[in-house]
Amino acid sequence: MTFEIENVSKTFVSNDSDEEVLALKDINLTIETGKFISLVGPSGCGKTTLLRIIEGFVKPTEGTVKDDGEIVTGPSNQRGFIFQNYSLFPWLNVIDNVIFGLNIGGKPEKESKERAMKYLEDVGLKDFAERYPHELSGGMKQRVAIIRSLINDSKSLLMDETFSALDVQTKHKLQKQIHEICKEQNKTIIFVTHDIDEAVFLSDEIIVLSRRPGRIKKIFEIKLEHPRNRDSEEFKDLISEITQEIGELEDE
Amino acid sequence: MNNFRDEYKKEMLILPIILIIIWYFICDYFQLIPVYMFPGPTDVATSFVKLIVSGKLFKDIFETIYKVLFGMLLASVVGITLGILLGWFNRLETLCKLIISILRPIPPIAWIPFSIIWFGIGVGPAVFIIFMGCVFPILLSTIDGVHRTDPVLIEAAESFGASNSQMLTEVIIPSSLPYIVSGLKIATGIALMCTISGEMIGSSSGIGYMILTSTNLFDTGSTVVGMLVIGVIGIIFDYIFTKIQERIFW
Ligand SMILES: Nc1ncnc2c1ncn2[C@@H]1O[C@H](COP(=O)(O)OP(=O)(O)OP(=O)(O)O)[C@@H](O)[C@H]1O
Ligand SMILES: [Mg+2]
Repeated sequence: MTFEIENVSKTFVSNDSDEEVLALKDINLTIETGKFISLVGPSGCGKTTLLRIIEGFVKPTEGTVKDDGEIVTGPSNQRGFIFQNYSLFPWLNVIDNVIFGLNIGGKPEKESKERAMKYLEDVGLKDFAERYPHELSGGMKQRVAIIRSLINDSKSLLMDETFSALDVQTKHKLQKQIHEICKEQNKTIIFVTHDIDEAVFLSDEIIVLSRRPGRIKKIFEIKLEHPRNRDSEEFKDLISEITQEIGELEDE
Repeated sequence: MNNFRDEYKKEMLILPIILIIIWYFICDYFQLIPVYMFPGPTDVATSFVKLIVSGKLFKDIFETIYKVLFGMLLASVVGITLGILLGWFNRLETLCKLIISILRPIPPIAWIPFSIIWFGIGVGPAVFIIFMGCVFPILLSTIDGVHRTDPVLIEAAESFGASNSQMLTEVIIPSSLPYIVSGLKIATGIALMCTISGEMIGSSSGIGYMILTSTNLFDTGSTVVGMLVIGVIGIIFDYIFTKIQERIFW
């Protein structure tokens, strides 16, 4: 068992008006080690907030998150986090970005760079090792951000709409890669997305959150064999079922 | 690209050349203005050659640049260090805010009386005035740079397990560097200004001193040489910082 999320609620208080926003309400969730979990739901329902609470960037107003039995009090290198907007360090070139976490952990630079080159080769960026982030396309930046997190061998990986800005081909390629790498290493993944196709393609479980305040509305277990066939009837049925579930929420 | 640059450079010269020609005709050819009021280009050129031959010009330039760099160095050490601390620790900033706000608008030359009382005559008072003039722009732009660090980059580093000191050296400082450098660039202009004013009052050397004393001797040619030298030093500093800024592109 990796994550135990117990009675988590989050209220935001805005600074200028005393208005309170209840973003999450009574979230209870257990996530087993090695599972790929997707969080879906209408915009503003608190997906990002929940992910940030799990990492430890934000404290819940109520409740606790446990990672392997330990209460989360702040970010940790045991939980990799991949942001929606790449978040590469603009002053570092690609390879130095990739080994940032290893450097921080005091690993010898030469070995780190050798490992980084292997990862870069895997995602087709070997020739871009010396380039700077501003010289890369959005898809390339996102690949760098992904391997920058993967290379640290954290036990889990939290991803916030990581593939949303990519074209379909790149997206599908990266989906396959992330799935393979994570199953090989038995990583726990929590994946926020708006893309139901993506969620069904990758997940062991899909968690649908309700409109604000976000609560767990429904959990779908996806038992289809990997690699999943997007054209199969079951795949399509699941997509329409989940889309409908979210759609109802958006109409309410 | 190179062609474009060369043309651009040539074009820049047109107006100054025309102005020098007009100047030549007014002051030297028709002698409409007496030399003690304003020198012509030939007077300036003569003074320039004399100052070079006697070695005085280089000595004064060296004196002035030495003071500028010395004062800037002190101001940078204090301004950047303090700026990073105040930018990072909000409470410390609140604590110092009022003092900074009151000291900052005081023109550096207002410190001249105290600088002479405290440091006498020579390099000391000039360096002190330069320091007072430069430390605030450097301090404030450093604080600004720290504040503008993308919070997502800070979170990213946290998720890689960065300690507080690693956060400072690996994220906050590199991210603030462009702001620090533009603060330094502004400060060099102020430093030159302070040096010249300082040299005119509490000093017996440097270009400011040369400008002032040569007018006393009606050697207005040397005065203009001094003024132009300041301009050229300013351009050189500006060029150096522009080159540095090109290298820190983020
Ligand atoms: N730092 C904050 N301060 C105040 N309110 C916030 C803050 N962060 C999020 N919220 C509010 O909490 C709610 C949930 O936001 P969150 O970003 O988690 O939604 P989301 O499900 O990720 O939405 P989207 O799908 O559009 O990314 C929103 O109403 C948002 O306005
Ligand atoms: Mg979001």
